Amino acid sequence: MASNITTSQTIGPFPHEAWRWGVDASNALASNVPTVTISGVIRDGNGTPINDGWIEAWLPDAVAAESAQPIPGFRRVPSNDDGAFCIEVSLPTPAAAGKPVLFATIFARGLVKHQFTAVFLEDDSGLAQSEILAQVPAERRATLIARKLGNAQYHWDIWMQSDKETVFFDYA
Amino acid sequence: MRFDSVETGIYPTLVYPPYASTAKRGPTQEPLRIRAAEPVQANIAVSLSLILPHDTDLTRHGQGEPLGEKIVITGRVLDEDGKPVRNSLLEVWQCNSAGRYWHKRDQHDAPLDPNFYGFGKMLTDDDGGYRFVTIKPGPYPWGNHHKAWRPAHIHFSLFGSVYAQRLVTQMYFPSDPLFDHDPIFQSIPDLAARQRLIARFSLEQTVDDKMLGYEFDIVLRGRDATPMGL
Repeated sequence: MASNITTSQTIGPFPHEAWRWGVDASNALASNVPTVTISGVIRDGNGTPINDGWIEAWLPDAVAAESAQPIPGFRRVPSNDDGAFCIEVSLPTPAAAGKPVLFATIFARGLVKHQFTAVFLEDDSGLAQSEILAQVPAERRATLIARKLGNAQYHWDIWMQSDKETVFFDYA
Repeated sequence: MRFDSVETGIYPTLVYPPYASTAKRGPTQEPLRIRAAEPVQANIAVSLSLILPHDTDLTRHGQGEPLGEKIVITGRVLDEDGKPVRNSLLEVWQCNSAGRYWHKRDQHDAPLDPNFYGFGKMLTDDDGGYRFVTIKPGPYPWGNHHKAWRPAHIHFSLFGSVYAQRLVTQMYFPSDPLFDHDPIFQSIPDLAARQRLIARFSLEQTVDDKMLGYEFDIVLRGRDATPMGL
């Protein structure tokens, strides 16, 4: 049967004012568990930073810890002039080994369909048993792993193209 | 919820050279179809308190009436089984009647309207329905190519009832002469999928001598995992 779904279109360069409420609602994090920050840069196929991109992060395991937030377990951040973004993530204990610390949704001018992906922490002891990572070709798994920089700091870049292209998902 | 593969051509082509910005931004690899429980079963919960009184009337954000043609847009949000998507967040944003966005990076040589910002949000009702009042957006030039003007459009952002239903799209107006010249609209290969982005003029929704009515229904991905009758 032919699908009757409504197709996608780019967000364009100008959603900032309309989407600001969601940024405000996910800033100034109120979390009752330890947090880590994941920072990085979103880049196009030339490696040029994308300065008008958007990342939404969904942290289903953090919802309970963020009950004081207007939208628990949700972040919405625009990339800045340097293409950089930073997301603070609640890490409930016990940690859910092998699960993403966040699911990410990527939007940008010139991106005609938003892209779903997910982030794992490199020091997660459950990576080898991860149900999601097991479905990702081994040679591309690194695109989903945030590298530890230091205490509670991780680095994760998003590449829209190139041999480093981030793995994007379509859910079955 | 189950997510069938989307047939080729229904989504726009991710790298579509006539739309220049896609060249280095559209992923080149097919999205990886995976099984993951939470994205198809759970969602982001948005508090009702975040919906503000005039979020569904974009003509009431300033001190006076905005300029342009006042319109009302209504429709239903459904899943692929035709079931209503209830209590689901929907955001809209658009330029003003002169074709300019309320945004510091929009330097189009057209006036800003101090009484129109062009953004709103709402929740669908128990029938999946939504309704908002606004001003018809103008077309505007955008520099993609010689004589590049966007057809009038309103951006829609929907959260659906599970995470994997997330959608951002654009709603267009009937009989726009710019459709044939707009690579963003043309990037959708499937002609029927393109047509589904065009709202329908509705005399029924038209309100007296106050505003013209348009209807725009939206179908999000996803079906109930259990077939009917089992």
